[in-house]
Amino acid sequence: MTDESRDPLLKDGAAAAPAGDASPPIEAVVYPGAIATRLDHFLNWFRKSSIWYLLFATACCGIELMQTGGPRTDLDRFGAVFRASPRQSDLLIVAGTITYKMADRVRLLWAQMAEPRYVIAMGSCANSGGLFQRSYSVVCGVDKVVPVDLYLPGCPPRPEALNEAILRLQEKMHAERWAAKRKGG
Amino acid sequence: MTPAEIHDRLRARFGDDVVALHADLRDPAIELRPERLRDACRFLRDDDDLRFDFLRSVAGVDRRDAIEVVYHLLSYPRRHTVVLRTRLDRDRPSVPSVHDVWPTADWHERETFDLLGVDFAGHPRLRRLLLPEDWVGHPLRKDYERPAEYHGIPVGRDASPPVARGGGGDRPRPRPAMHEPKAEELAGFLRLNMGPHHPATHGVINFLLETDGEILRRAVPDVGYLHRGIEKLAESNAYLGTMPYTDRVDYLGAIFANHAWALAVERLLGIEVPPRGEYCRVIAAELNRIASHLIATGSLAMDLGAFTPFIHWIREREKINDIMERICGARLTYNYLRFGGVARDIDGETVDMIRRWLDHFDPIIDEFNRLIGENEIFVKRLARIAVISPEDAVAWGLVGPNLRASGVDWDLRRDQPYSVYPELEFDVVVGRGWRGQVGDAYDRFWCRMLEMRQSVRLLRQACEKLPPGDFWAKPKTVKPAANEVYACTESARGELGVFVISDGTDKPYRAKFRTGSFTAMSIIERLSPGLLLADLVALIGSLDVVAPEVDR
Repeated sequence: MTDESRDPLLKDGAAAAPAGDASPPIEAVVYPGAIATRLDHFLNWFRKSSIWYLLFATACCGIELMQTGGPRTDLDRFGAVFRASPRQSDLLIVAGTITYKMADRVRLLWAQMAEPRYVIAMGSCANSGGLFQRSYSVVCGVDKVVPVDLYLPGCPPRPEALNEAILRLQEKMHAERWAAKRKGG
Repeated sequence: MTPAEIHDRLRARFGDDVVALHADLRDPAIELRPERLRDACRFLRDDDDLRFDFLRSVAGVDRRDAIEVVYHLLSYPRRHTVVLRTRLDRDRPSVPSVHDVWPTADWHERETFDLLGVDFAGHPRLRRLLLPEDWVGHPLRKDYERPAEYHGIPVGRDASPPVARGGGGDRPRPRPAMHEPKAEELAGFLRLNMGPHHPATHGVINFLLETDGEILRRAVPDVGYLHRGIEKLAESNAYLGTMPYTDRVDYLGAIFANHAWALAVERLLGIEVPPRGEYCRVIAAELNRIASHLIATGSLAMDLGAFTPFIHWIREREKINDIMERICGARLTYNYLRFGGVARDIDGETVDMIRRWLDHFDPIIDEFNRLIGENEIFVKRLARIAVISPEDAVAWGLVGPNLRASGVDWDLRRDQPYSVYPELEFDVVVGRGWRGQVGDAYDRFWCRMLEMRQSVRLLRQACEKLPPGDFWAKPKTVKPAANEVYACTESARGELGVFVISDGTDKPYRAKFRTGSFTAMSIIERLSPGLLLADLVALIGSLDVVAPEVDR
């Protein structure tokens, strides 16, 4: 028998049997050790545990992004590893200033990623233009070019902050209901 | 020779075409008529007493009634400097190009054309360098107004709301083609874009490749993807307010840009730094140099396919970050220097922390070399690849480790001393062709490895000698009188120079940053013919170019 309170997959109201029902829980019927959950939870669990982010850095934040992937913060712990190609990536971390010359290219990179895709705007420049918002060549926030899921403040944000952002993104991913939507529920 | 003597020499040769000597400036400038500028430059380069072989920078200045172009020259053999300048008609500024005197002028002139609209007559391809080809206007003009939108993206903060989620498939509109060669020129060649998003280009830099199979015919760098207009922003900020921007000129070596900016403004103000402040600066700078070289050498190894060494260096870099965080509160963009000193003191505990780390780091260098630096596979990828002769290195304006790897014995810390470097002992590392030829990619790598050892030496001495007393002699106001000054530091990527014009207000009239990566980038096109595609990656990595330094 599985312990519902400890099993992460069974949280959030996904428990098998309604209260007061005398029939045994489904795990017991199938075989001991099995778990019952919603398809959405199951898929989200996989998705959030292997966020592949695009190896994309434009400016200072890119160095902190690099340090985050390094041995101390070690994003690999959460299944997040970098990919060089947008075709293989789930997450675009916009690390740094986006200029007008670069803006079209960022949009292209984002368009090349397969859905579902996520965008973290890392650092003040990607959030709002930051220090450079009065400059003639800087886009005041990457949200003018691509939709953003998470804004991470800092100039540059520390690796711990980026780590936290990834965890928040996992929460967001886990709350999504792709399969339920498709069924019309 | 002093500027006055050089002025006399020029006057004897060119007569009234030499307009004046502005001797009242901090760096006296010789004003020439534009028509004879190229002849004068040729004379300055070829005359045996002058031998100005290095064009440091070309800076355009909008004087409101005219456009000025300022040239900073240095002679390695004669060890003297001179500043030339020429005044041009503001409506139709035109001056002869000097790209055939110093090849490095090619990019400097393109940048000046881009940002100020100066026409350099005789330049073979006077196109925009940093801004997109279809950009309107020249931003460093004083009357420049930014456009309302660019390619449908609104300009400015309070523009339209964020784009809606979804859609997805909409492709960006086609961009105007750059460097478009004629069809017959390309017969038999393949054109490829490497970048602007590419892991091996060290930031957002694009290379337009023309290849015949694996062999490159040409690699043309296309830069400006990180052009943030720092020089324009400096004009609208107070002197100290520009300090954080200098961090972002070179984020891997923020202290050096801090230092150059502080030196320039201190020379304008005529103030001194207390000894403890100078030592704090040197400690921060040398720690930063090691941190920067760690990324340079580590990412070179990663570009060539060895991931482990990079992770080792990232681990070490975290420890430097910890120390820097104790010193100035930031991990990357330090904003540590102030005019007249530094923002915070380095306390005894931090000094102990640095000592402990140095004891730990020294053997780690050996470990790294066993792992990769003397690894035969790695050596073979670098030895005799992309050799830069000393003549080329000087003519193309290479600086720092790239210049020294080509066998030119020049280090600003020793040869144009600043701060307390004269009080400290260190050797200048010069390329010797350790595994092949002087000036090959391996020399550039190995120079950096040896420079880290010298930085360790410098740090040990600085920690030992750190004198008691004040660390910051704070000036009451920062409002220098009208003047012009060029100050430079030996950054991890070589000479990082700042040219500042003050006009008596609390904001600079013009600030120009001269950086090592900018010139290192410009030599790639010359070196690329005949290289293997994989060697191009080794070349870029060994030159240690950083995108913000190229674009600023």
